[in-house]
Order: sequence, then C-alpha cells, then structure tokens
Amino acid sequence: MSNLITIENIVYLASFGLILIGLFIVFSDKNLVKLVIGLDIAETGVNILLVSTGYIQGKTAPIFSRTGLKASQMVDPVPQALVLTAIVIGFGVTALALALVVRLYQKTGTLDVSEIRGLKW
Amino acid sequence: MVNPILLIIIPLATAFFIPLLAIVWKNGSRYLALLAALANVLIGIKLLPYVLEKPIHVTIAGFKAPIGIDLLAGPLGIVFSLIISITGFLVLIYSIGYIRDESINKYYTLFLLLLTGSTGMVLTNDIFNLFVFFEILCISSYILVAYNRDEHGLEAAIKYLVLGSVGSLLFLIAIAIIYLKLGTLNMADISDKFDALGGSYRMMVVVLILSGLGVEAAIFPLNSWLPDAHSSAPSSISALLSGFVIEVALIVVMKLVYSVFHAMQVLNALAVVGVITLLVGEFAAFRQENIKRVLAYSSIGQVGLILLALSINSKAGISAAVLQIINHTASKSILFLVSGYFILKTGSYRYSDYSGIAKRMPVSSLLFVLAALSLIGVPPFLGFFSKLQIVMAAAARGSTFYVSLVSLVLLGTIVEGAYFLRIAQVLYFGRQQDTDSGWLETGNAAGIDMESVGNAPVSAVIPVLLLGIVVVFGFLFLTNLNGVTGSIAGEITRALSLASLF
Repeated sequence: MSNLITIENIVYLASFGLILIGLFIVFSDKNLVKLVIGLDIAETGVNILLVSTGYIQGKTAPIFSRTGLKASQMVDPVPQALVLTAIVIGFGVTALALALVVRLYQKTGTLDVSEIRGLKW
Repeated sequence: MVNPILLIIIPLATAFFIPLLAIVWKNGSRYLALLAALANVLIGIKLLPYVLEKPIHVTIAGFKAPIGIDLLAGPLGIVFSLIISITGFLVLIYSIGYIRDESINKYYTLFLLLLTGSTGMVLTNDIFNLFVFFEILCISSYILVAYNRDEHGLEAAIKYLVLGSVGSLLFLIAIAIIYLKLGTLNMADISDKFDALGGSYRMMVVVLILSGLGVEAAIFPLNSWLPDAHSSAPSSISALLSGFVIEVALIVVMKLVYSVFHAMQVLNALAVVGVITLLVGEFAAFRQENIKRVLAYSSIGQVGLILLALSINSKAGISAAVLQIINHTASKSILFLVSGYFILKTGSYRYSDYSGIAKRMPVSSLLFVLAALSLIGVPPFLGFFSKLQIVMAAAARGSTFYVSLVSLVLLGTIVEGAYFLRIAQVLYFGRQQDTDSGWLETGNAAGIDMESVGNAPVSAVIPVLLLGIVVVFGFLFLTNLNGVTGSIAGEITRALSLASLF
C-alpha cells in the first residue's frame, strides 16, 4: 500500500483529477463564463502533468551559473520550457474566449448556451 | 537552394509588420500580404524539384536533432505549403474587393498567421513544435470566424473555440505521455523508439492524438462545429478553412499514424469512421437551404472520402487521397468564393433565391457549376480521376470490407450529385414548379430585384478563373500530378528514422 503513495502518483491523480473536473464543467455547464473556467481548469491539469514529467527526485533547479553543480544533479529543464509555452497559449485562448463571450453577451443579452440558438444542426 | 524555413518566416514576419505599415499607409497591408504569399509560392516552386529527389532537413539554431527543433521539408511538406500559399495568394486577390471595412489590417495579420500555422504544421519534425503551429492555426481561425462580429459568427467562434481547445488539451496530454515515456519530442526519434513502448501506452497516444487533431480535421463525431464555423465566417475565410485547413490537419494526423506511430491496427476503424463522416456530411448537406451550409456539409463529406482513401493502407490509396485533396481545395475554394458574391449581390443566404442569377453573373455561375461537377466526380474534371483512383485503390486491396465501403462512397456521390445539380438548376433555370405550391414561376419569393444584380468585380473573377483552370484542365497534367502524389505516398508510408535524416 505504502508504495502506491509516491510523489508521481499524487501528481498524476491531481492532474487527471483536474482534467476530468474541467472537462465535466465544459460538457455539462450551460453558462458560457463557467465553460471558459472549466477549460482553464482542465488546462491547469495538463500543465501539471507536463511539468511533472521533468521532475527527478532529489535533483535541483538547472541553473548553470551556480558553481559546483553538475548536470547529473539537475532536473530536466525541457518540460519547464514546454509548460511555459503551453501556459502562454492557454492564457491567449482564455482571453480570446472571454472577449468573444463579452461580445456575444452584448448582442444576445444572455450567457446561457441553451438560449442562444442562432445556429442549428 | 533556398532554405525552407523561409516558408514559415516570411508570412510570420509580414503578419506582424502589417500593423506597423498601417501607421504610414492605411491600405498597404493588402499589397504587402499579397507579396508575402507570392514569395511563398515562388519558394515552394523552386524547392519542389529538390525535395522530390531528397527531403531537405533543416537544423535550427545549431542544435542537432534530436536535441534541437528541426524541419523536414519532404514532398509532403513542400506540396502542401504550395497548396496553402497558392490558395492563400488567390484568396488574397479576392479579398481586395471583398473585405471592405475599417479593420482590414487585423484581417490581413490573422490571414497570414493562418498561413504560417498551416505551413508550419506540414514542415515541422518536432511534435511540440507541431502543437505550437497547430495553436497558431486554431487561434487565428477562431478570430477570423468571428470577423464579421455578428451574432452567428460569435456563436460559431465560441463553439469552435471550446471544441478546438478540448482537442488541443488531448493533444498536449499525448505529448506529455510521449515525453514521459520516451524522453524525446523529435518525430524521427519517436518513430525509432515507439515500437518498444507498451501496447496500452501506444494505443493511448494514438487515440489521444487522433481525437485531438481530429477536431480540426472534422472527423465524425468531432465535427459539429464545422458547419457553423464555415458558414458564419466571411466567404474568403470559409474558402481557406474548407480549402486547406481541415486537409492539413487530416494529412498531418495520418502522417503521424503511418510514419511515426506505425499504428496500422487503427486503419480499419478509421476507414469505417471515414465512410460514416462521408454519409453524415452528404445527407446533411442535402437537407440544407443556406448555400454556405450546403458547402460546409459537403466539405465534411469530402473529408470522409479523403480519410477513407488515406486509411486504405496502400501507396495507391494515399496517392489518390492527395489528388482528391488538390481537387477539393480548388473546387471548394471556387464554390465558397463564388457564393460569397452571390450572397453579397442578392443579400440572401438561401440558394432558392438565386433563380436565374446565371444571366446576371455568367462567369461566376459557370465556374460554380464546373467546380460542383468536379466535386461530384464527372469526367473529364480532376475530381473524376481522383475518385476513380480511390475506388481502384480500394478494389485493389481485394477484400470485401473495402469494396463494401467504396460502394457506400458511391451512394454518397449520388446524394452529392443530387444537391449540387439542384443548385445548378436554380442558378440557370430558376424554379420550374407551378405557383400553386407557393413557388413562383420566375423571380423569387424574397422579392430580390434580379435586374440590379451586377457582375462580380475583376478581383473576384480572376482567382476563381485561375482555380477553375486547375479543376477543368488538371487532367492534362495527370501524369505529373500522379508522380508528385506518388512520392508523397512513399514518404507517408515509410517509417521515419533519425538515421535517415543525416
């Protein structure tokens, strides 16, 4: 039992939990603002998963200006660069989504998805 | 030899230079964007003979693969950048007359970013870089769908954005799993190591990437955003979205499935999904009254056909699929561009209101019908040969499975013929029903004054005519085209490997 509670498993549980919570909000909630929040939560989950791939237990931050630190003592810096990119992209998408929601609210006067029925299948 | 990275740099740099230019010269962005697209076309044409012999591998910033990000400009990359830049160039000519509001600089910036994103997707050899270009493509197309700022456009853009973001989340999870398990992001390196991975991880990665990119590629059932987005966007943007955006996403995901993940076991399932996509698209198109929704659903149908052809798992099938992509890009761009002026001149989206418009806009109507015939697959247009090659490739596999799928495709073709010929009939002859049914003999119910409908401007007719030449006279160059599509098929079916890059 005790070997199940490792730092990796906690991180995976947290990230997939956040992804599922976020996706549940996206697919079930009718409020457009909450829908954008749901997307953001799911994105946070993915970012946690992505940044955790570079973690190695007992290693430290990869800063080369510190003297006496060897490459074997550092964690993998690539996922940190990746997650930074992913966060910036996610920020852009969220900002755009909210801007579109504001515009749509000005046109229709509602945030409820089920009341906005300009387009049909 | 020109460096293929210019294909990405030129539109990207121009996109951000346009707002600066706008300070001194308001309308300069039209011509600057045209120049950038033209430069891409010329570079593509210059590179094509080289890459047909040997793919060009570009190392960026001095870090050798698999450490650094690299580009791989094979036949697929260069042919698709050519498709993208030629369509982009022609649609930019069309936009000179079509886009006439205050914020044209935003339009051209986003337009060039759309070209950058799709060109980058076909050229890159790094899976995270692919994600970044995919996001550039997605974000610029979300905004362009809402460009008219009307209620429908905004609603469609939000729908598209939510589904697209969920898709890119799934894609990002797949990248995280790949990096966790293999410690690399280079596609060639992934291809080398992928078979050593456990079966469940392999399947998870393939399914996540298929469903992630599948949203953009409009694979059923992930395509509910497409008819809304493609019909609410300005017609010039619909031509791009239907013309190459969905095809680029589709060909990239199939390239990953074949040459990086070697996941041949999903191909049969994909073939079935392709046929379902085709039937759903064609039958839904048959029921529509809005001309742009008809065209959007017809795009879904064509994507299904292309997906089926790509899933046949033979070089002939992939080669036929690429030919079908070329045909679909040219024909569907014509249909959207022409219908843009039908809508602008009559003020109506319902095609039943266009009765007898062919007398007023003869060139546009003729090209509309020719492009529709090519999509249906009437000889001697390009579409006939691509459809014939798909049917032959499926029959060559010799299994009942593929033959029955292809017979369903032919059923879809009949439906496709029915709705396109119905539109052609309205354009040329108006409504033939008697007045008792509420339909008028001549003229139309909406009371549109056909006398006032004039010809489309020259800037709209020229690009449509040039695309029409591809569709009508394409069969004269069939051997050349088959040579090119054949080498793309060779590239897709060959497994990538790090050793082959150097």
